[in-house]
Amino acid sequence: MPKKLKYRGRIAQTGIYFGKLIRMFVYQNDWKVLPMAALIGGLVTFAVGTNMFVTQEGTMNGCFALTCVCVWNGCFNSIQVICRERPIIKREHRSGAHITSYIAAHMIYQMLLCIAQTAIILTICHFAGIKYPETGLISGSFIIDFGISMFLITYAADMMSLAISAVVKNTTAAMTVMPFILMFQLIFSGGLIILTGPAENVTNFTITKWGLNSLCALGDFNSQPMVSLWNTLWQVRPYEIGGLQPVKEFTDYIRKNNMLDQFLQDSGAYGAKEAFASTMDNVIGCWMVLILMIILFALSATIILEFIDRDKR
Amino acid sequence: MNTLDWIYAGYEIVSAVLFTAGLWMIFRKCRRKGWHALVPGLRYYEIGVIGGRESDGIKAMVLDLLSAVFKTATDYIPQESTFYGLAMIAYLMVQTAALVLRIRVVMGMLRTFRLKKRWIFLWIAANWIPSLLFGFSKKYQPLDLGLYDDDELLAGTSPALIDGAIDDDPSDDGLVVHVQNRMIRSHGRKRYLLKDINLTVPNGSLVLLLGGSGAGKTTLINAINGYEKAKASIMLNGTDIYRNYKKMKYRIGYVPQQDLMRMNDSVMATLNDAALLRLPKSVSRAERKERLESTVETLGLSGRANGLVVKKSGGQKKRISIGMELIADPELFILDEPDSGLDGVIARELFEKLRLIADSGRIVIAVTHTPDRVADLFDKVIVLARDSGKVGRLAFYGSPDEAREFFERDTMEKIVMTVNSKNEGGEGRADEIIEKYAKLTAERGAAANA
Repeated sequence: MPKKLKYRGRIAQTGIYFGKLIRMFVYQNDWKVLPMAALIGGLVTFAVGTNMFVTQEGTMNGCFALTCVCVWNGCFNSIQVICRERPIIKREHRSGAHITSYIAAHMIYQMLLCIAQTAIILTICHFAGIKYPETGLISGSFIIDFGISMFLITYAADMMSLAISAVVKNTTAAMTVMPFILMFQLIFSGGLIILTGPAENVTNFTITKWGLNSLCALGDFNSQPMVSLWNTLWQVRPYEIGGLQPVKEFTDYIRKNNMLDQFLQDSGAYGAKEAFASTMDNVIGCWMVLILMIILFALSATIILEFIDRDKR
Repeated sequence: MNTLDWIYAGYEIVSAVLFTAGLWMIFRKCRRKGWHALVPGLRYYEIGVIGGRESDGIKAMVLDLLSAVFKTATDYIPQESTFYGLAMIAYLMVQTAALVLRIRVVMGMLRTFRLKKRWIFLWIAANWIPSLLFGFSKKYQPLDLGLYDDDELLAGTSPALIDGAIDDDPSDDGLVVHVQNRMIRSHGRKRYLLKDINLTVPNGSLVLLLGGSGAGKTTLINAINGYEKAKASIMLNGTDIYRNYKKMKYRIGYVPQQDLMRMNDSVMATLNDAALLRLPKSVSRAERKERLESTVETLGLSGRANGLVVKKSGGQKKRISIGMELIADPELFILDEPDSGLDGVIARELFEKLRLIADSGRIVIAVTHTPDRVADLFDKVIVLARDSGKVGRLAFYGSPDEAREFFERDTMEKIVMTVNSKNEGGEGRADEIIEKYAKLTAERGAAANA
């Protein structure tokens, strides 16, 4: 009876593919995603300004912008990685390669990329003058908690793009789909446009919603002063009604009595949102949803790619 | 209704009747069911089939139905309703897509009738005119109408006759191929890609696989290596490839036509990874290194194995691609057009390497479209031909000299031209040659039995 030959299993093949990806990082210029992350991070933080974690508006704008950066980075990390080498995967699959190993290697590699990108963005934010709060809700360190949130957003977007890359047949199709996905993610985040009715339910399926919620919760959005109301009132000071100027009288009264800070802080309470509640449960809940998305996207990519043999030649 | 409306309605009815009548005759000319012309939607599917664009035909049919649904919806939904607007948008979108698909299928049909593309303008403007012309005029005849339906066997090629010739060979060595058929279901219809391919290849053979476009070369390769299973029995050195596919896939090397490897990886890493994936775990690191070196040596890549794959020449890339399979020391080695894009000298060198691989006891099957520059290196030739039912069949299997004698042609390229269809500039004698070879095989079988 001839001895049954054993070939390399899933774990060993994951190692082979991971090594391949590391080489691609060096030789195929995949490393360019890191300076690109720095560039986009710099541009966005420049636009955000230093009001992040100071006022509700600054925090909302900053968190939304960072969410966008994370989604952008994640998407562009992996949108082409599978489709550009689809025939190669097909060839390897028929020679005994496991799709699970291939995806697992990508998951590990992309995770490292996302961690690096998160670290780069956080560093850039620091140098751009954004003052991070000192204490965090979960680990005790704000930077760690905020970093985990940003990483999960980037990684979820990365896995979503990996799944898309597994569905489409070539890079042209991938790059055609990409803008629609980004638009969907940004519009339905609930951060840019206030959505109501059925559209509000759609937001539950976006990475950006859960990412934005977790970032705003960590940034203690609900406890911060709101300045937009005062700014609007200041703009409409000359408004007259029945020969009176009630807005002017009101704003003058506030200023004369040194009640501005109190007013800004109190009006912030009206802008508070349940989704941004600065509690451990809320943040962990958001993280769990993002982790679930990561798992689902990775699973989808694997299942879709298992059918690669059906690709027409 | 005013007079103009009556005239328009009358024209619509008359043109629809004439169009249907013309289509009925077109379908009959093309050996399809004439009454299908009566069914809106289905008629475009049939045109698609005639034009070799079945998939587009199905889409056109579905869009026709959807279009009818949305049109009806716009008739019944009040105009002030939001849904009216949505239905109108959907109707226009579907109509646009349907128009494009109809154009596509009709273009296919025009090609089948060997007509110029400009006919499409008349078809769009007044489809009943070309429909009547193509349907009723004897001047317009479809191309490539076979004598056989694709599920019909050619006379004299029944598997029983050929099996008689081969089943008596008790040898467990080499590759024994018995393909009864390879059938696919396309849009619910059976379609045979291959039928009755029976041959035995001894170990140590370098085999040339010849055939025109669509003759089934790649289908046969995939059937042999078990990648796309046919109704067949494929034995490699006594082991059934289909039944033991998980184990056997490591014993078969398949080199695709394109250089499917990561161009920005280094040559040695590419080969090493291929070895890790394809070799058993029991192969030690030292042994693997040795194999790596011997593969590089065999393929003449020594001294060129450093650097990235992308920096290598076409011939070197092809050799690296071959090396990725050769490194696992396969018993059966199949190469799909390994010389595509290579000049004569490099191609010759490559086939000489393949000759060496075959001489080491392996079976090497190679497809090439320029066989004559390397024909002397081959032990056997397989000639596939597409019969008039568009099914790939075995037109010859034997040595290159026997092939020249059988076909009465002095070059391999002329042999292929004999069986290629007239559309491809060939002689269109596929059916005749297939039958001739079937008779020859039957005679050999009978002689062997006697």
